Amino acid sequence: MSALSFAELCERVHARWPAVEAKRSDNGQPFLLVPATELVALVQWLRSDRELRFDALSDLTGYDLMKYPATPPSDAIAVVYVLFSYVQKHKLMLRVLAPRAACVVPSVSFLWPAALYFEREVWDLLGVHFDGHPTLLRIMTPQDWVGHPLRKDYIYPSEYHGVPHLREGQHFEHVPQREGDAVKAAPTAPAAPAKGAPPA
Amino acid sequence: MTIEATTPSGERMILNMGPHHPATHGVLRIVVESDGEVVANCTPDHGYLHRSIEKIGECVEWQMFVPYTDRIDYVCAMNANLAYCVGVEQLLRSDPGTAVQVPFRAECIRVLVAELNRISSHMIAVGAMAMDVGAVTPFLHSIAQREMVNDIFEKLCGQRLTYNYITVGGVAYDLTPGAPDEIASFLNTFEKEMVRFNKLITTNTIFRDRCASVAVVTSDEAIAWGLVGPNLRGSGVDWDLRRDEPYGIYGQLAVRVPFGERFAGRHGAVGDCYDRYIVRLLEVQESVRLCREVLKLLPPPAPKATDQTGGFQADVKKQLARPPKGEMYSRTEAPRGEMGYFIVSDGTKVPYRVRCRTGSFSAAGIFHHVMKGIFLADVVAVIGSFDVVVPEIDR
Amino acid sequence: MSDLGYAVDALAQWLAGSGKPGWFAVLLAAITVWVLPMLLVIFPIASLGQIFERKIAAAIQRRVGPNSVGLDGPLRFAFRMLLCFLPRTTQDKAFATFTNLPGIRQFLRIAKSLGLGQLAADGVKMLGKEDLIPAGADGIVFRLAPYLALTGAFLPFCVVPFAHHLVMLEVPVGALYAIAASGVTVMALKMAGWGSGSKWSMLGGMRAVAQLVSYEIPVGLAVAGVVLWCGTMDLHAIVGQQYHSGVFSLLGWNLLQSPFLLLLACVLFFGGLAECQRTPFDMAEAESELVSGFNIEYSGLRWGMFAMAEYTEMLLVGSLVATLFLGGYQSPIGEQWLVSLPVAIETLLHITIFILKVLASFLLMMWIRWTLPRFRVDQVMRLCWLTLVPLCLLSLLGIAVTMLAGGGAEMGEAYGRLPARLQPQLGTTGHLLGWAIPLAIGIVVVRIARKRHGQVHPALQRLTGGGA
Repeated sequence: MSALSFAELCERVHARWPAVEAKRSDNGQPFLLVPATELVALVQWLRSDRELRFDALSDLTGYDLMKYPATPPSDAIAVVYVLFSYVQKHKLMLRVLAPRAACVVPSVSFLWPAALYFEREVWDLLGVHFDGHPTLLRIMTPQDWVGHPLRKDYIYPSEYHGVPHLREGQHFEHVPQREGDAVKAAPTAPAAPAKGAPPA
Repeated sequence: MTIEATTPSGERMILNMGPHHPATHGVLRIVVESDGEVVANCTPDHGYLHRSIEKIGECVEWQMFVPYTDRIDYVCAMNANLAYCVGVEQLLRSDPGTAVQVPFRAECIRVLVAELNRISSHMIAVGAMAMDVGAVTPFLHSIAQREMVNDIFEKLCGQRLTYNYITVGGVAYDLTPGAPDEIASFLNTFEKEMVRFNKLITTNTIFRDRCASVAVVTSDEAIAWGLVGPNLRGSGVDWDLRRDEPYGIYGQLAVRVPFGERFAGRHGAVGDCYDRYIVRLLEVQESVRLCREVLKLLPPPAPKATDQTGGFQADVKKQLARPPKGEMYSRTEAPRGEMGYFIVSDGTKVPYRVRCRTGSFSAAGIFHHVMKGIFLADVVAVIGSFDVVVPEIDR
Repeated sequence: MSDLGYAVDALAQWLAGSGKPGWFAVLLAAITVWVLPMLLVIFPIASLGQIFERKIAAAIQRRVGPNSVGLDGPLRFAFRMLLCFLPRTTQDKAFATFTNLPGIRQFLRIAKSLGLGQLAADGVKMLGKEDLIPAGADGIVFRLAPYLALTGAFLPFCVVPFAHHLVMLEVPVGALYAIAASGVTVMALKMAGWGSGSKWSMLGGMRAVAQLVSYEIPVGLAVAGVVLWCGTMDLHAIVGQQYHSGVFSLLGWNLLQSPFLLLLACVLFFGGLAECQRTPFDMAEAESELVSGFNIEYSGLRWGMFAMAEYTEMLLVGSLVATLFLGGYQSPIGEQWLVSLPVAIETLLHITIFILKVLASFLLMMWIRWTLPRFRVDQVMRLCWLTLVPLCLLSLLGIAVTMLAGGGAEMGEAYGRLPARLQPQLGTTGHLLGWAIPLAIGIVVVRIARKRHGQVHPALQRLTGGGA
């Protein structure tokens, strides 16, 4: 029994799940790109296989690919699973791409109850609906909050239950100024009012 | 100790515990469905302290996010700083062009402050747990020790709570000349104080009986529910990132890892509240030892801050202006367990995504599972034994 | 009838002029002679207890405690009030003259460093607070509860002998009355818990009732042991029984008569601790669980009444322990000379000794409170029914056996007011045996229990400074 390297893990996964692609991030971090339809069967196997024994879900998170300079550009939400095995001491990262329009990924909370909270958080902040989660409620923001704040096209609401968040005349479309962006606002100004979308 | 939570009539009472309750350590709200004195069900409600720190991370520059990590876990801000900085450094190292080499002295200082902060954080944990169980005095004794650590940190960086001390590439300031001696003498007095503290509360029969066999989490459960750190070790899992996946100079130190062994004796069980409590105290002992070890390793200061041995801060301005594009998942051992950072960079001076995975978040996730069938009085003991810090849950 | 009883009669007679005094005159006389002095003595002691507690807690926690509120303010206020018909400058001048008297300044400085004025400040704060009654509360029940709590705390003092000549009522069944009267508190706590219309306070009230009702049994049994030993229920007679004519008059105290009585004294003390809801039995107000328990919705003066009732009850427990086991008002040394002094001096000394004994219990309670954690509901009940009650029954049996072995006493003679001792005349050998046999058995039992369950994990030994 010993920790398996990513290549060895890939080999075993590929033998059974040809649809799963082994990939590397732009800085060389390896991960498996899993189609959402195969996720549940795959993680069940990953957890129960005697050689792999991924008994822990270390982390479950995600990020919006909308503004990420990837080739080819994508606007999906990447859901990232960090699996870890306390028995074999090896680690594996999975990624599921949830399309923006129908952002649904099957829940893994029945395997790892740790996912109960993680999935609620990802739902709350990124708007990924986890199919099969028993109580998929918002966890950080109030239940009646509109939108999912960590999405790159999130528009900051101007008020909540009649309490204004912005000063009069201020608009704030939340797009942080990045180096590639066409308009570069002065560092002190919050954002150019002309550019700001009217608050939703 | 699990009691079947049914009465002939089956009547239940909804008790709203928090967000303002003396035992919920901040603004944690737990809706308890109780059957007399027995908890039938409970639903934690989070978000009262949500400050959208992860969203802020997408708006500020790499180095500017460090003060925000302080606010993720203000009870052990040094460790929170360290977790983020280690994550960013690993991201930078993933491309040879931007790799940073943290000076050895800075690494030593980092371990020193991280372990001191672990001591002070665990002092809050054990003291608050004693207070939740009804003993007020131990809390004041333990908080006095935390104050000593805060005094040291104040001399180091001018702050007592949110330090903003560890930076990407090193630490913000060098140790003051007298600091090593001061730390050494603090460690000596601290050890004596801890013996007194343990005699006062740890071995107290009432305290032990209150915690023994309460909210038992088996090792399988602990792993599946994603518990980390002392909570995981309290359930008997022998795992510590400082020893098993060392970062910084932890690889050069001999870290001994305590884990739950049914400390309460006959009436206890591995993974009960008492085990989690004792594991923290043993970790404190271990931290004292590590601090002493590091003080021996500490090289003398060099005149140049960026010196590879005696300096305290590598120059990372260039690297942080153009970090490699890509992502990195790194984890470090904070007092409340694994603090994982998932960092995505799009190659600009602002992070694309900063995700912080904290120990309290998963510990809060198991609440509704372990609190079924325990006494109402134990609810506070359980919250105390998992040592949840609310800003870490809500972020 | 007690000496104070005669005083009441005399005053009532004087109030009524000639003829038989009416009920109103008797009531007025009783209030003047009994109630007012009692309130005037017990209230200040109980309030002093609060500041005492704060200082002790501070010492235990290595703090300073109240240290900056002196008595200057209250004294100046008193001068203003007393001389309110004079112009303000005169008032101030009078106050200045007063503070310039020798010793006053020093006293004020010491009072300030001890924070004695905190008491007045707290009192004023309490009076100034808004009297809130929650919308969901049951008005009458909510309002009545604090008074009832105070009543339950004060009533038992009627039969407690403060000095040989200072007993309010000499009731033949005084011991029984004391326990019964203190039972009123249960009612008060329940009413407070229920009437507040809050779930937390109801839980607190429930806990309080369960605990108080349970602990009345060991407390009652402990008192019964003393009654069995002394053959009387009259508290004044019980104190009289403990009179010893030697130099060391403490040899006559019940505490030292038999190991079983010592055991009962402990049971009475801890049962009493539970009866007045002190740590480790403070489930009913458990601030970290129930926030404040049954009194969570009370504010201002009503809350103050509960606090006062708690301290008064602590005094009561101290008084009962002192009366039943520590020779009451008697001096530990040389009681025989003390009783030959003039009545006024004797009474004063008796009161002082009695208060000191009560304060000793008081201190012990505080020490316990600021050291120990709190029991859980099931542990409290288990301690009562599985430990204290069997211990009491065992002790009762032991006392009965000791009395039989010692030849027995004439139980029948015990009723009525008798100055003589009625206890079994055991003799020195009998006394020693009476101590030696139970003690030996006890030590063996404890040893066996230790050997069986006393294993401590090596990690814990290391934490407490032992081991490697």
